[in-house]
Amino acid sequence: MQAPLGYRPSPIPQPFMIDVKNITRRFGALTAVNDLTFQVGRGEVVGFLGLNGAGKSTTMRMLTGYLPATSGSIQIAGHDVLTESLQVRRSIGYLAEGVPLYREHRVSEMLAFQGRLFGMKRADFRRRSAEVLDRVGLSDRSRSLVGKLSKGMRQRVGIAVALLHEPDVLILDEPTSGLDPLQRVGVRKLISELAEEHTVMISSHILPEIEAVAGRLILLHQGAKVADGTKSELLAKLGGSHLKVLVAASSVHPRQLKEALKRALSSSDQKREGAVFVREAGDSIEATVRVDKNPAAAVGLLASAHDWILRELSWHEPNLEQLFGRLATGVAENGLDVASIAPASEVGTMGGMEETEAGA
Amino acid sequence: MSGFWAILRREVIGLFLTPLAWVLLVAAVSLNGFLCVAALMQSGGDVDGAFNFLLGTGGAYWMLMITLPPLLTMRSISEELKGGQLEFLLTAPVTDGAVVLGKHLAVVLFLAVLWAAIPMYGLILELQGVSPDWGQMGLGYLGAVLVSALFAALGMVASALSSTPLLAAFLGFIFNIAILILPMGAGALGGTIGGLLKALADKLNVLLHLQTSFMRGALDSADIIFFVAWTGLFLFAATRIVEGRRMWS
Repeated sequence: MQAPLGYRPSPIPQPFMIDVKNITRRFGALTAVNDLTFQVGRGEVVGFLGLNGAGKSTTMRMLTGYLPATSGSIQIAGHDVLTESLQVRRSIGYLAEGVPLYREHRVSEMLAFQGRLFGMKRADFRRRSAEVLDRVGLSDRSRSLVGKLSKGMRQRVGIAVALLHEPDVLILDEPTSGLDPLQRVGVRKLISELAEEHTVMISSHILPEIEAVAGRLILLHQGAKVADGTKSELLAKLGGSHLKVLVAASSVHPRQLKEALKRALSSSDQKREGAVFVREAGDSIEATVRVDKNPAAAVGLLASAHDWILRELSWHEPNLEQLFGRLATGVAENGLDVASIAPASEVGTMGGMEETEAGA
Repeated sequence: MSGFWAILRREVIGLFLTPLAWVLLVAAVSLNGFLCVAALMQSGGDVDGAFNFLLGTGGAYWMLMITLPPLLTMRSISEELKGGQLEFLLTAPVTDGAVVLGKHLAVVLFLAVLWAAIPMYGLILELQGVSPDWGQMGLGYLGAVLVSALFAALGMVASALSSTPLLAAFLGFIFNIAILILPMGAGALGGTIGGLLKALADKLNVLLHLQTSFMRGALDSADIIFFVAWTGLFLFAATRIVEGRRMWS
C-alpha cells in the first residue's frame, strides 16, 4: 500500500502483541468462534475462560496459524497470521492441549528437535536449553524419556519446549488440565513467573487456576466474548454483590427495617439501583441489600441511630465461578439474580473464595 | 528450510530406532540373500540374470515394493495427526510441504539402505572373482529406489487420509497394487471410464518405465523424470490432504 504524502510511520510499530479483529470460525454448520475481537498488549497476561466447547482451543489454534479463520484478521507481534505465518510462528511459543510431544524422545532430544525446527544456533540452543530446563525445574531430568515422565513433568517439558526460542507471546492451552493439585500449584507458579517477561494467553475451564495468574480475563461462551476485563471489572459489570444484614426481631419491625434501608441506599452513591429483600429468620430479621458498593458503614450508622440489635453485617461478592456458571447457563449480561447466587456465595468454593467481611 | 532438515533427521533416526523397521530390514535382506543364492544355483551361475531377477523381474521384488513402503509410512501422518504432534510441528516455522517431504525422504533413505544389500551381494561375488555388470546393477538399484520413492509417496497419501496406521498401511497396499495392475486392467473396461483409465494407465505405467531403461541397463532421463514427477505429484496431494485435515481439526 502506498503511504500518503507526509505520512510517517509511528515510532511504536505495533501497539498490540495480539490483535484479533472480528474473527469467525465455522465448521460446516457449527460456528465455533463468532465475531471475536480483542487486543492484548505487550507483557499482559490474559486468561481465556469458557466451558468445554466454548471456542478457546479453536481461537488459540487460529492465533498460532494452525487453523485459519473463516473471516476476520489476526496480527501477532505485528505480523499477519495468514500472510506472514512463519514469522508469526517464530514469535509464538505454543503449548497445545494435551501436550503433544514425542514420547519416545528424551527431554534433551525433544528440546534439540525444537531448536532445530526453529533454526537456532548451537551456542544459543545450549544456553537456552539449560535456562528453560532450570526454569521449569527439570535440569536433572534431561535424560528422561518424555513418555516416562509424570503428567505434571510432561506439562513442564511442554512449557520448556515452547519457551526455548524466546518467543514474545506464549499461548498455553489448558496447561493445568489433568494435573493433581500439587502439580497444578507448581505449573501455576511457573506461569506466574513467566508472566513477568512474556505476553501470555492461557486458557482454562477452571476458574481459580486462571484467576490466580491472569490480570485480565476474557470470558467466552458459545464462541462469543461475553466479558473482558480485570476480575473486579467483571464483578462490577456482571453484578451480584450484596450486603447481608441480620437484626434481632425484637429491636425492629421487618417493614421498618426495609424502609430505613431503602432510604439509606437512595442517598448513598450506587451505580445500579439497589433492592432490599427482607425475611424473618427465627428470632432475627434478615435483609439482603443488593447493591454495587459496600454500604456497610452507612447501614452500621443507621443501626446505631435506630438502636437495632445488629447480629450480622457482611458484604458478599460472588466469585467468578458463580458468575460464570450463571453466564454459561444463559443469564443475561446485564445483571444477575442475586437471590440465587447468595446462598452459594456464603458457602464459597475451594480456591475461588471471594468474600469480604465488612465489620459485623 | 531448517525445519525440513530437523524433520528429516528426526525421522531417519526414529526409523532406525523402531523395532518394526529392523524387522523389515532383516526380513528383506534375508529374503533377497536367499533368492540371490537360489537364482544363481538355478541358472547355473548366470550372475546378471540373478541380479535382474532380484532388481525387477522377480516376484519377491514387487512383493517387497508393495508391502514395505506403506508399512514404513503408515504412522508418519495418521498417528501424528491424532496424537497432536502434527499440530506441534505445524505451529513451528515449518511448512506443511516440508513436513511431508521430510517424512517421505526419511522412508526413501531407509529403503535405499535396504535395497543396497543387493549390490553388496554383487560385491561379494566380485571378491570371489566373478564380476557382475555394475552398470546394470547400479541402474537396477536406482530403479528400485525410485519405485520405492513413488510407492512411499502413495503411502504418505494413504497415511494422510487415514486415522489409524493400520488403515494407512492397508490403503497403501491397495494403492500400490492398483497402480501396478492399472495398465493391465484399464483396457478391459469399455466406455468413458475405461477410456479415462486407459489414458491414465498410459501415463502411469510403472512397470514399463522400469523395464525400458533401469532393467536394461540403459538410462533414459525421461524415465527418471517419470518417477520423480509422479512422486512429486503424490507428495503434493499428501500435503494438500494434510492441509485439508488441519482445517477441520
